[in-house]
Amino acid sequence: MMNDTAIIEKCLNGEKEAFRFLVERYQTQAAGHAFAILANREDALDAAQEAFIDAFQALGRFDPERRFYPWFYVLLRNRCYKLIEKRRETENIEDAEILAPQTGVSGEERLALEKALLSLSRADREIVTLKYLDGFSYDEIAGLLEIPHGTVMSRLFSARKQLQAKLTGKFH
Amino acid sequence: MKNMNCEDVLIQKSALNDGEKTEFSDAQINAHLETCENCRREIEQMQNTIVLLNRQKRREPDVDLWSAIEKRIEAETVSETNWRMFILLGAFLVVYKLLEMIPERDFGWALKIVPFILVAVLFGFLKENPFRINTGLRLEKNYE
Repeated sequence: MMNDTAIIEKCLNGEKEAFRFLVERYQTQAAGHAFAILANREDALDAAQEAFIDAFQALGRFDPERRFYPWFYVLLRNRCYKLIEKRRETENIEDAEILAPQTGVSGEERLALEKALLSLSRADREIVTLKYLDGFSYDEIAGLLEIPHGTVMSRLFSARKQLQAKLTGKFH
Repeated sequence: MKNMNCEDVLIQKSALNDGEKTEFSDAQINAHLETCENCRREIEQMQNTIVLLNRQKRREPDVDLWSAIEKRIEAETVSETNWRMFILLGAFLVVYKLLEMIPERDFGWALKIVPFILVAVLFGFLKENPFRINTGLRLEKNYE
């Protein structure tokens, strides 16, 4: 399988079709991340699409020493927050589904957690899902969100505390 | 090293539970926990939340963004090429006009056909008549 840097090089040499490999490699992850911020499927797909186009246009500025996805994630977040600013609406979370059904996790448990996650602010939901659903380390999260390591630590703590408060009495 | 208060302990302990390096050692944190029942209770509840979160997976939406992205990239490339083409044609016409203005120089018929060649190139490039009036345009719904 071609690595990301090789794909980017091909794109920069005029083989625009090669960008397809990057889109197909990361579109599910990107849509999932946008969804965790926006809590709306349509908006998440719009944001992911726009972010890929931004990435394509900015490939010339990509540092090949870096990994593609963390660089792309910054563009994706910008698109998500631009969309939020543009819409200036309250979240439409009716169709929101962040968590996948899992064997060994009851539907009730998943729905309660889903509801608790959706009650968090976008920023708190984003950091919690990056940590526990994607398994990123604090350093990786700091890179993705462009914030210091200590801020990741304290924001995660506060977000988790809020989740804990929402879930108290349900599973604890 | 600064003294630990309860919030520091809770933040650092949760980072430790997440497998991260912390400012305080495990031994220091445990020493505080031995004497602070509130923190012990908080840690226990926090641990339950972490276990619950760690058992989840992100839903992976079924998406196919490439076809839409491909169209957009294609459209942007074409519009960029069109823009460059018009600049180039404009520059040619300016040069042509300047050549025409040189007194006492007769370039003959070769120079006279240059504008026709340029228009033919434009037609060929756009694959349609660039001077066509679009009769298909309609007024906005409210004014119909």
